[in-house]
Amino acid sequence: MGLCRYLPTPSDRMGVIWTLLSAKGAVVLEYGPAGTTHFSVSMYGQMGVEPNQSLFTTHLSEDDIIMGDVTRLEEAIREIDEGYHPEVIFVVSSSVTSIIGADIKGVCTYMEQEINARLIAVDTGGFKGDYSLGMREGYNLLTKTFATDQVEKKKASYNVLGASGCDYRMRSDLWELRTLMQEGFSYTENAILGMDSSVTALTELGAAEVNLVLREEALEAAKYLEKTYGTPYVYGAPYGYEGTACWLMKVSDTIGKSVNPELSAKLRMRKMNAAGYKMYASMYAHKENRPQSVLVGDVNRIQGFSKIMEEVCIPVTLKISNHSLAGFEAEDIVKPAKEKEKIDLLKEKKYSLVLGDDISLYLCDESCEKVVTSFPLIRSKQIAEHMPLMGIRGMDYLLEAVDRYYGRL
Amino acid sequence: MNGTEIISRLKRLGDVNSVKDINQLTAALFPGAHCPLMGAMMAVGGIEDAVLLVLGTDECTYYTKKATIGGFSFKGIDNRCFSVVLDHHDVTFGCREKLQDAFKELMDDIAPKAVFIVTTCVLEVTGDDVDSMAAELEEQYRIPVLPVHTEHFKTANHIPGVRDTVTACVSMMEQVSNEQISHKKVNIIGQRMGKFQETQLYEILVKHNIEIGMMLPGGTTLEDIKHAATAGVNIVVNELGLPLAERMKKRFGTPYVMFDKYVAPEHVLQAYEELFDYLKIEMDEELETMYKECVQLTEDAKEILSGMRYVYGNTALSCYEYNAFMVAMGMEPLLIQTNEYPGAADSYVKSILECYNPYVTKSANIAPLQYVYDELKPNLYLGHEYENRLRAKKIALVHDNNLSSMLGFDVTKAVLAELVRAAKDAKELAAGEGGK
Repeated sequence: MGLCRYLPTPSDRMGVIWTLLSAKGAVVLEYGPAGTTHFSVSMYGQMGVEPNQSLFTTHLSEDDIIMGDVTRLEEAIREIDEGYHPEVIFVVSSSVTSIIGADIKGVCTYMEQEINARLIAVDTGGFKGDYSLGMREGYNLLTKTFATDQVEKKKASYNVLGASGCDYRMRSDLWELRTLMQEGFSYTENAILGMDSSVTALTELGAAEVNLVLREEALEAAKYLEKTYGTPYVYGAPYGYEGTACWLMKVSDTIGKSVNPELSAKLRMRKMNAAGYKMYASMYAHKENRPQSVLVGDVNRIQGFSKIMEEVCIPVTLKISNHSLAGFEAEDIVKPAKEKEKIDLLKEKKYSLVLGDDISLYLCDESCEKVVTSFPLIRSKQIAEHMPLMGIRGMDYLLEAVDRYYGRL
Repeated sequence: MNGTEIISRLKRLGDVNSVKDINQLTAALFPGAHCPLMGAMMAVGGIEDAVLLVLGTDECTYYTKKATIGGFSFKGIDNRCFSVVLDHHDVTFGCREKLQDAFKELMDDIAPKAVFIVTTCVLEVTGDDVDSMAAELEEQYRIPVLPVHTEHFKTANHIPGVRDTVTACVSMMEQVSNEQISHKKVNIIGQRMGKFQETQLYEILVKHNIEIGMMLPGGTTLEDIKHAATAGVNIVVNELGLPLAERMKKRFGTPYVMFDKYVAPEHVLQAYEELFDYLKIEMDEELETMYKECVQLTEDAKEILSGMRYVYGNTALSCYEYNAFMVAMGMEPLLIQTNEYPGAADSYVKSILECYNPYVTKSANIAPLQYVYDELKPNLYLGHEYENRLRAKKIALVHDNNLSSMLGFDVTKAVLAELVRAAKDAKELAAGEGGK
């Protein structure tokens, strides 16, 4: 890994915690030093996750570590159970308690006898992998813990699987998905796995007619729901006008209902209006600085934006994933082993359209057109909930950036 | 949650023998205290040309870098905070090689003048010998490489991180001859928040042509640290600076004066007198006038403050001195949140116990406090809390936002003004007139 100058990749522990925090009615209890919890709160805030009364820490003393004393954990579990009455308490180990081998599973097993809440031990201490792995575990836990056996299907409803606060502008994207599903099929949202959800909503996961899977990390949960409730799923998200049209067709095929012709017509009109961008691409291809783009972010987003670039005929010359590529089919995406390699790759890019996080954008040359599309955020804020990157509005927004980009060449 | 039950777990100040007797309000904490890693970050941030190299998990290094980008004197994305991220391999086999590789990269690309290697909890559990690694690197690269240990499981909050970083700087100080020592020069040790240049003490020193040398951790350079022993006296403005002051006294013979953010006018005057003695200057007439003015203000405030019941949280002031002052004003401490205990022989502890025996608990756990308020029914809360939540329970919040950059009689004046304002507010709330 070498020297890290900027932000390291968040760990599996961080990923699992921010995913579990998305379910109101559940509590996350960290068994470890309090400083990490305190430090983390501002990051969750930036992601739009409000941890008030849903996140706690036990803290740890030297005595606890030396003696393997778990009294502090037992008391914290009792207090949370009595004081906040959560349906579930996720007891998450820390790097320290992982190393000393604290048996949190054992504690959860015997403590469950004396309290009302369900206790789930999460022994993700931060050493197994990065946040992508943690999110995968989080989605699986939320699904398998809460989805109930007996559930009646809700007609014309869908779930979103794999939403996350760590995806920039996800609330806006969810809003766009609602619009597309409503306008396209008159379908309404049932539950969201990974963001702005609740224990109550998640118990109804099996009730939806279709699952829309946005991230690869949620595929396992989708397969589980398909096996358990027979719910089909559509993997992928709507990026670009053409991508949105394709995605709507996939949903249509899965649910056996045609896309509303009005929405299809609206998309056709948008595509026609955007046809000029293909022409720009061929005109500018002969210039000294030929159009090219750079995509940095999570794999699913990169794949989505790649489709957009294809649609406007701007070649993508570099794709960098923020997380490990293990388990992903992403041959053309790189994840440099050392941060220095990533810095060098980005610094050499000039006159490019760059979509990525604040640090990657900072590293690129000033001649580039830079668009924030990913976490971590340093200079940028995320306030609006009506400015998606997905769907029709997402493409509208990104085309404005493409337009600015041509102005630079 | 049951407030009575929570309170039943707490000890009263008079029953405390050591800091271990100060219990947490609850076992489940939110958000919990900051860790010493943050303290070390704050301290290194104040040394302009030093680099912070955090040796820890993705999580510790991520949050530290993120915090430095937003502030703490580091400024910007390309700042002086770097890290070496530990993985499972390092936990099992040690991090020596990884640190050496990263350090080489740091020297090749950045070439810092000094590096603070800050360890985190994991390394202190695995027992990796970072001190010897730092010594090796120091010899190899011929720059100061200072290890600072910041395991949170041994400390209550971030202050030990500031203290230990500041104390580590003694190894960078050069020995000086008697002729090089200036009795018209002082060092400022322990200013962890706010700017010393904005304090009354600074104004007074400048007025008397006293040169300010090293200001650690409030904003200094490696050169200032190197020549710190040329100062005639160290002014310790927070007790976290005491270990460094003691070491400098032992190693260089530099005396020190304790000049904390005292509230009581007589303590401020006493600190000025002691300092002026060392500096061999006459007591300032202006200060005498200020002292009399503060004594009068204190007397005037007693009428409104007397009888006010309060819960003490975390403030920028010295906990026990401030509480002793408020007790002397006729106020009643119901609960004191603190991570320190100076001992039963401490004069401030004694002064408090002469009148009251308040509950004590560790700080930074505001969630369960809501239930405690219903039982204790305070009029005032001092420290960081959600104001609207307090007002709903008819409690007025006493702010301390402006105190960071104060030292001297300004502290007394500001504290009294704020206490009086909050007390009036509390009375209005009690009468049902102050809802926001």
